[in-house]
Amino acid sequence: MSTVTLAKALNAGLRDALAANPRVLLFGEDVGRLGGVFRVTDGLQKEFGEERVFDTPLAESAIIGTAIGLALRGFRPVPEIQFDGFVYPAFNQIVSHVAKYHNRSGMALPLTIRIPYGGNIGAVEHHSESPEAYFTHTPGLKVVTPATPGDAYGLLRSAIDDEDPVIFFEPKARYWQKAELELPVPHVPIGQARIAHEGESVTVIAYGPTVETALQAAKAGEAEGLSLEVIDLRSLVPLDTETLLASLHKTHRAVVVHEAPVFGGFGAEIAARLSHDAFDFLEAPVERVAGLNIPYPPSRFEKLYLPDVDRILEAADRVVAYA
Amino acid sequence: MPDQVFRLPDLGEGLTEAQLITWRVTEGQQIEINAPLCEVETAKAIVVVPSPFAGTITQLHARPGQSVPVGNALVTIRSSTTAGTEEAPRRGVLVGYGPEATPESGIRRRSRSAPAPSGPGAEDVRAAPFVRQRARELGVDLARVVGTGPDGRVTRSDVEAAAQGSRVEADGDQRISVVGIRKAIARQMLRSVTTIPQFTEFAVFDATGLLADREHRKQAGQSVTPLPYFVRAVVRATRDHPMLNSTWDEAHDEIVVKRAIHVGLAVNTPQGLLVPVLRDADQLDLQQIAARASELIAGARAGSLPPRDMTGSTITVTNVGASGPVETGTPIINPPECCVVGFGAIRPRPMVIDGQVVARPGAWISISVDHRIVDGALATEFLTTLVRYLEEPVA
Amino acid sequence: MPQPSQAERARPSLMAQLNPEGTLPPAVAIEEAGLDRARLVDLYRWMVVIRRADAEALNLQRQGELGLWGQFLGQEAAQVGATLALHPDDWIFPSYREFGMGMCRGIDPAAMLYLFRGLTHGGWDPATHHFAPLAIPVASQVLHAVGYALGCKFDHSSQVVLACFGDGATSEGDWHEGMNFAGVFKCPVVFLCQNNHWAISVPLEKQTAGRIAERAVGYGFPGVRINGNDVLTVYAVVRAAAERARRGDGPTLIEAVTYRMGAHSSADDPTRYRGDDQLAAWSPRDPIARYDAWLRAEGHLDDARAAAIRAEADVVAQTMRTNLVNAPVPPPSQVLFDRVYTSPSRTFQAERDEFASTLEPSE
Repeated sequence: MSTVTLAKALNAGLRDALAANPRVLLFGEDVGRLGGVFRVTDGLQKEFGEERVFDTPLAESAIIGTAIGLALRGFRPVPEIQFDGFVYPAFNQIVSHVAKYHNRSGMALPLTIRIPYGGNIGAVEHHSESPEAYFTHTPGLKVVTPATPGDAYGLLRSAIDDEDPVIFFEPKARYWQKAELELPVPHVPIGQARIAHEGESVTVIAYGPTVETALQAAKAGEAEGLSLEVIDLRSLVPLDTETLLASLHKTHRAVVVHEAPVFGGFGAEIAARLSHDAFDFLEAPVERVAGLNIPYPPSRFEKLYLPDVDRILEAADRVVAYA
Repeated sequence: MPDQVFRLPDLGEGLTEAQLITWRVTEGQQIEINAPLCEVETAKAIVVVPSPFAGTITQLHARPGQSVPVGNALVTIRSSTTAGTEEAPRRGVLVGYGPEATPESGIRRRSRSAPAPSGPGAEDVRAAPFVRQRARELGVDLARVVGTGPDGRVTRSDVEAAAQGSRVEADGDQRISVVGIRKAIARQMLRSVTTIPQFTEFAVFDATGLLADREHRKQAGQSVTPLPYFVRAVVRATRDHPMLNSTWDEAHDEIVVKRAIHVGLAVNTPQGLLVPVLRDADQLDLQQIAARASELIAGARAGSLPPRDMTGSTITVTNVGASGPVETGTPIINPPECCVVGFGAIRPRPMVIDGQVVARPGAWISISVDHRIVDGALATEFLTTLVRYLEEPVA
Repeated sequence: MPQPSQAERARPSLMAQLNPEGTLPPAVAIEEAGLDRARLVDLYRWMVVIRRADAEALNLQRQGELGLWGQFLGQEAAQVGATLALHPDDWIFPSYREFGMGMCRGIDPAAMLYLFRGLTHGGWDPATHHFAPLAIPVASQVLHAVGYALGCKFDHSSQVVLACFGDGATSEGDWHEGMNFAGVFKCPVVFLCQNNHWAISVPLEKQTAGRIAERAVGYGFPGVRINGNDVLTVYAVVRAAAERARRGDGPTLIEAVTYRMGAHSSADDPTRYRGDDQLAAWSPRDPIARYDAWLRAEGHLDDARAAAIRAEADVVAQTMRTNLVNAPVPPPSQVLFDRVYTSPSRTFQAERDEFASTLEPSE
C-alpha cells in the first residue's frame, strides 16, 4: 500500500501496458523526454526507448492521423493530446476516421486517445475545456473518464486493451488527488458505473472532476439530513443505464453534474434517457448542474461557472421539495 | 506597517501543494521586493519563490522537507515602504489559483438557504408524474392503489376511482363511497318519493307532423333535434294548464302556481345526472329553445355552468326509454316541482288509422304528477293537450 | 565571451538568404533602413524595458499575482526589431509570447497581464493598437493574419500584416494552409518565425527535418533565415519584407534564429530536457549585450545613458506591478455574460439574470 496520485496511477498504468504488450506505443507532444506537462508519462521513454515512447512535432491532426496508420499496421497506439482545447485540429481525423474506420472496412482501430480535460486549475484560455459531448455524440467511439487514482489505472488498462477506439479523458484538476493503493488494481470494465456513495433520497450522477465535488456535497448533505447517492459514471459511452435506473428505483430523484456547458451537454442525454426509461419513477424532473452557457471564463471567475457543492445541494433540495 | 502573510501560490496550473526544499532567508532578515525567499519542489519543477514584499522577515512557517498545501502561510514579513517605489500591496492574502482557491469576497455565490428535510422516495409504485400529481391533488396514497395500466402502472382513472373511495373487499364485493353528485342525486330522489305522492300516466303521440316540420327546417338549413319540439309543446300545454307548473308549499298549506316557466332539462353527464334550467322558456320560439338547450347541455357536460343555470326549474323534461328495446318508464318528480315529463324515442310504431294497422313515427310520453295538486282527470287533460301540441308543432 | 566583429558591428549580418532566383540581394545599409541615432537608441531602450518587464512578470507569477507566465527572455531583438520596423497602422497577429511586441505598440503592460491574472481573455482593443489578441492554439493566428492581409489587399490599403509564430507552429496544418493561401493570393503579409529552438521540450531537430526558411519556396515566395538576436538585422529585413508586401509583391517568410533562454512557461521545468551547455552557448549571443557593445562603440550609448535607461525600465516594471496587484475585478456578470453574443437572445438574458440573482451583493 502506498500513497498514489491520479497522475502516478496513470503513469503506472501506461508502464504496465507498455510492458504487457510490445505493440503498445505512446506518443504526442512532450511525452518522451519531458515526461509530459503533467508528468503522466514520466520515465517511460527512458525505460522503453524512443521506438515505444516518442515525441512528435507540434501537430495534433498528424498525431491522430498517424496513429490510425500505426493501428492499421498492427500497433496499439496510445497518442496524447496535450490539452482538451487543442484537440480540435485532430477532430476531423477522430470523427471522420477513427470513429468510422471499422464500420467502413472491418478493420479495428484499437487506439486510446488520452486527453487531459476540465477546469478549476486557474489556467489561461483553451486549457479548461470539457469537450466530451462532441465525442459521445460520435458513434464508433467509446468515451471514458476516471475520477479516482484506482479507476485511472484500471480504466486505462481496459481502454488500451479494448479493440475499439477509446477517448480517455483525464480530469486534470484531480491529477494530484491521492489514494492509498496497492498497484496493480484490476481492470475496470468499460461500460460500468460505480456507486461512489450510497444514499436514499437523490441520485447524483457525475463523472470525472465533478465526482469529487458530488462526494463533498454528499458529505455536507449528511450533516443536514439529506441523503445523496453519488454515482461515478466512469464510462460515458457505453452508458451504464442499468445502474442509474436501479438507483432511481430507490430515490426517484436525479441530479446530473458536469463541467461542460449545460446546453447540449452530455447531461442532456442522461436526462432524456432517464425521463424515458424511468418516467414512472420520477418524482421530480431530472436536474442538471453544469457549466453556464458561455465560453469558459477567465480563471478568476471559474468558480462561479463550475458546479460546486452549493449548487449541487440546491438542486438536490429542489428535487426533494418538488412534490 | 502591518505584518503581511505570504501564502504559497499555485505555481503551475492546478498544483495543490509543494515541498519546501530550503530557505534562502532567515527570520529577522531585511529583504527587498523579489528577493529569493526559498526553493520549493512541485510535482512539475523546482521553483525559486521571490518575495512580494520588502521588509523584515518576522516568521518562517515551514521547515525544509515539509509539504505545504497551496494557500498555506509560507512567511510573514513586516513590510516597509522603500523610497521611490509604490506601497506594497495592502492586501495581506494573495489569491492563488487552482482547485483549492476560493473566490474573493463580493463575488462568492450565495450559499444555499435552509434545506428541506427529505425522506426516501415513495414506494416502488409505477405511476407517471402527472398521475402522481393527480394523486397528490386528490389525497390518494399511491401505495394503496392497485394499478390497472401496462406493467401494473397506476393510471389516472385508478387514482380517480380511489379518490371516489371505490375499493374491492376480500370477498370480492366492491364498496364505493358515496360523494358529490351521486350523493346529491340520492338525496333528491329520496325526498321526492317520500314527500310527493306521485302517479304516472302514459300516452303515445304521432310524430309525423313533427318530423315533417323538422325536415322542412332542415331544407332551410336549420338543424333541430326533437328536444326543442318537446320543450315547446310542454310550454304551450303548461300555459293551458298552469296548475302543472306549481309547487306544494307544505308549510303554508298552499299551492304556489308559478308564473314563469323555467324548464329543467335532465342531462346525463360523466359526473352524473344534472338538470340545467332553460329559463323563461315561454318567451322563446322553437329556434331559440334549440339554441339555448344546446348551450345548456354542453355546459352541463363540461361542468362549466354557473349556479344560476342549475337551479329554479318549475317543470322538468327528461328522457325515458331513449334507446334499445326500452319504450318508456316512470320518471320521478324533481322536487319541489309538480310535474316531470318523460319522452321516449321517436321510432316507427304500429298504429291503427282508419281501421288499418300502419307504421307511423311515434313516441311514448310518461308524465308523473304530484297527486296533492293534480288529480287523474287534470293529468289526462294535460297529457291530451300535450299530445295535440306535439302532433301540430308551431314555431 | 566573444565580442561582435568589426564587420558585424558595421552593418547588419545575414546568415543566409534564399530567394526563388537563388541570389543574395545586397545587404541593407543602416542609413537606408532609416535608423538615425535616436532610433538606434530607441531599439536598445525597448529591449531593456521589455526584458525588465518580463523578469518582473515571472516574479509576479511566483508570488501568486499571475496564474501563469511565459517568458520571452532572449527574444527581445526579434520582437523589438520587428515591431519598430513596421508602420504603426500595420497589423500584428501575435502568438502567446509576443508581450514585448505589445508593449512596443503602446499597450499598457499591466493591462496585458490581466489575461495571465485570470481577469479577462483579452485586455486591450485590437483595433486601437493594430495588435490582435494573443493566440494560444498554436499557429491558429497565422490564418487570421493571412485573411486580414487579403482584406487589406481587397481594400487597396497600404497596410501590411505581421504574422508571428515559433518553430513549433511550422508543424501545424494551419501554418501550411496559411502559407499556401498567402502565396496563391499574394497577400501583403510578413511571416515572422521566432525560431527559439524549443517547443516546450521538443527541440528544433525533432520538430522538422528541413530548414524553416526554405519552406517558403514551396509556397511560391522568398524565405530568409536571419540572426534573430541581431536587432538591426531583424529591423532591416522585416522592413524590407514589409515594403515588398506594401508594393504588392506578396509574402515573405523570415526565420529569425534566436533562443528561448527561459522555460516554456512558469509551469515548465527545462532542466528535465535540456542541459546547461546550450544556455552556455547562447548566453554570449545575448541580443542586448551585443547591441549594447555596438552602440557604445558607435558612440550612441554611455554609462550614464545606460543607467538612465535601466532606471526607466525599473519604473516601468514597478508601475506594472502596482497596477497589476491593484487591478480592479470587474463585476462577474459582466465578465461571464458580456460579449458572448452581439445580440443576446431572451433565453440568454434570462440565464444571465438568473446567475446574477445567485451572487452575494458586492460590498
